[in-house]
Amino acid sequence: MAEAMKQTVATMLKGIERYNPDNLPTLERYVEIQSRENAYDLEANLAVLKLYQFNPHRFNTNIVCQILLKALTNLPHTDFMLCKCLLYEKQLSIEPIDQIVYLADILEQCNFQAFWTRVLTDQDLTQSITGFVDSIRKFVCHVVGITYQTIDQHHLAQLLGDIDDSTLKIWIKKYGWKEIENNLVFIANQDENIKTKNINEKIDFDSVGAIMASCR
Amino acid sequence: MSKGYDDYDQSDDYEYEESGSKLREQVKNFLIYFRNSVNDGLIFELQALYEHTWPKLTEEYFDKRPWPDPDEVAAVVGNDYVFMILYKELYFRHIYARLPGGPTSEQRFQSFYNYCNLFNYILNAEEPVPMELPDVWLWELIDEFVYQFQSFAQYRARLQKKTPQELQNLNANNKVWNILCVLNVLHSLVDKSNIKQQLEVYASGGDPDSVAGEYGKHSLYKMFGYFSLIGLLRLHSLMGDYYQAIKVLENIEVHKKSQYAHIPACQISTSYYVGFAYMMMRRYSDAIRTFSSILLYVQRTKQLFASKTYQHDQINKQAEQMYHLLAICLVLHPQCIDESIQQALREQMFHEKMYKMQCGDLKEFENCFVFACPKFLSPYPPAVDSQPNDYSKDAIKHQTAMFMSEVRQQKMLPTIRSYLKLYTTLPLSKLANFMSQNSRKEGENQRDLSKEIQALTIHLLCFKHKMKNMVWSKGASGLEGKFQSGSELDFYIDNDMIHIADTKVAHRYGDFFIRKILKFEDLNRKLHQIKL
Repeated sequence: MAEAMKQTVATMLKGIERYNPDNLPTLERYVEIQSRENAYDLEANLAVLKLYQFNPHRFNTNIVCQILLKALTNLPHTDFMLCKCLLYEKQLSIEPIDQIVYLADILEQCNFQAFWTRVLTDQDLTQSITGFVDSIRKFVCHVVGITYQTIDQHHLAQLLGDIDDSTLKIWIKKYGWKEIENNLVFIANQDENIKTKNINEKIDFDSVGAIMASCR
Repeated sequence: MSKGYDDYDQSDDYEYEESGSKLREQVKNFLIYFRNSVNDGLIFELQALYEHTWPKLTEEYFDKRPWPDPDEVAAVVGNDYVFMILYKELYFRHIYARLPGGPTSEQRFQSFYNYCNLFNYILNAEEPVPMELPDVWLWELIDEFVYQFQSFAQYRARLQKKTPQELQNLNANNKVWNILCVLNVLHSLVDKSNIKQQLEVYASGGDPDSVAGEYGKHSLYKMFGYFSLIGLLRLHSLMGDYYQAIKVLENIEVHKKSQYAHIPACQISTSYYVGFAYMMMRRYSDAIRTFSSILLYVQRTKQLFASKTYQHDQINKQAEQMYHLLAICLVLHPQCIDESIQQALREQMFHEKMYKMQCGDLKEFENCFVFACPKFLSPYPPAVDSQPNDYSKDAIKHQTAMFMSEVRQQKMLPTIRSYLKLYTTLPLSKLANFMSQNSRKEGENQRDLSKEIQALTIHLLCFKHKMKNMVWSKGASGLEGKFQSGSELDFYIDNDMIHIADTKVAHRYGDFFIRKILKFEDLNRKLHQIKL
């Protein structure tokens, strides 16, 4: 259904039509479909926030919460920042928007343990977003993937939200990581990508020829 | 070429009296000549009149007062409809720029209606209008249109100094300088000119005229279309919509020379807003590339603007803002940049600012940001029943707060970077130890190493996350890109050991010697010129 709507919505976002408040009900429904069906369309969601910016009386906290949570599922992209900049200061302190802003803040700081604790104590907040938890785990895997060559298995499970062994194995497999000795997980050979660069100046004769000729 | 304006006899301005009711003869002649040039479409002549004579006469006679009233001018130029619209545009622009106290409510309204007339004339014509104006004028016209909207939004949000009657009048005229109206004008100009299609064909090496359509073939429509895209970039940025800001420039390669990119002020303004939007999206590499490339251009072409003072001021202001933004980006995301930009940063004393920011001085970040950011606005005026306060700073406060939340998230990174720079490998425990020495208070001996390592690991993950950003390399839209870590220092963790990779730049001799050689040459030449 989200797929089917994508086209309809795309025509609503062209040119000046984007600012037509009559489109709001359709766009809001599209947000809810995205939440339900684990789909994502940043551009459409930003258009909703834009319409709220232009028509503050139409502001719908529930929809905004979904948009913000969906933005988190697209980390490491900076969608959340883009959304935040379109809201008013006062709107960010409305409950539970403020909670989501807090979640985003600890996620952006990669304080994953704190994030999971928080999410588990208030499951209602994120329940409406299908696949929310797994999306965040993907983000965790992204960060782990660029940071580690090998990581302690227990630590990895913790970062992913204290998952049990079998779930951990699934994630390890999904990313092509490998369990090795001493309870370590091999992530990737990082020293191929991350190595010291030396930038030396190379001056060839042609590039100085002209200036030398003019100095006679 | 016909006889230029400056050849006219300028001696007989005796008629001008203090009453101001009669136009000075010189001004009168100028206006008539100006009208004729507009009607005859003398594009080079118009450029000279617009860029030189108008500012010169302004300087001379209308420094802090308005140009002659449009009614008086109408009588002189025989009520020429098109010329009067153009005259009024300049007339109001001058009031905005030079009159102490700025425009009144009424003048803001009048100026808005005048823009409506202009755009209606251009957009509702059954065939392309026979008007030709220099590109620099078209650019400044669009830029001014957006500026006056911005200025009105700020003015509108300052409720504290307005009388109930003024407020009532403003509330009754909510259509004036309405955001939708402004957006509509810019979008209509874009659509009418088929500029998006033209840019797409141009980018793929084709002939833009093939898709330009009846209107878009005309320089007036084409360039209005192009400049409207830049106007939209600015407008979106002012409302904090960075995604749309970048998106609207699809098929425009900001750094590339093209047939559309020949107005320096437009190029500079474009880069300013593009770079800013990138910075807000945490695309620091893209921001740094955008700023350094345009600042290099400004450095190289500085002499060109020296004579046109009004443009010069704006360019200088925007360049200074970009140096600030560049400094911020380089603190958050250190990377190598062009030597002469580095040099300019050094000369302009950015060292101290950057040092403070590196040490985590949040106030310094905020100061630089507020100085350098666009004048953000709320698209809609405060509600009718609002308290009579000043709401004009709300938007800027909000965007600043958003940026500062990002800076706060990255607060530990410079400290970590400074330690990592000293090593090629470093055990986690050792770095945790260094880090905690900073924060541990005197006499506090109890330590929990595993907790400290845990805290450090979070910072290290954050470091990697924040330094891996989208970077554009190709594609029609500036929003595209791939994740890259472009910062000069990088690392990875192998279980409990950090492996560090730094970028080492050997000293550059070539540039240094070339500079000295040129300097020496110059000195030598001057010595030869001295006659004793």
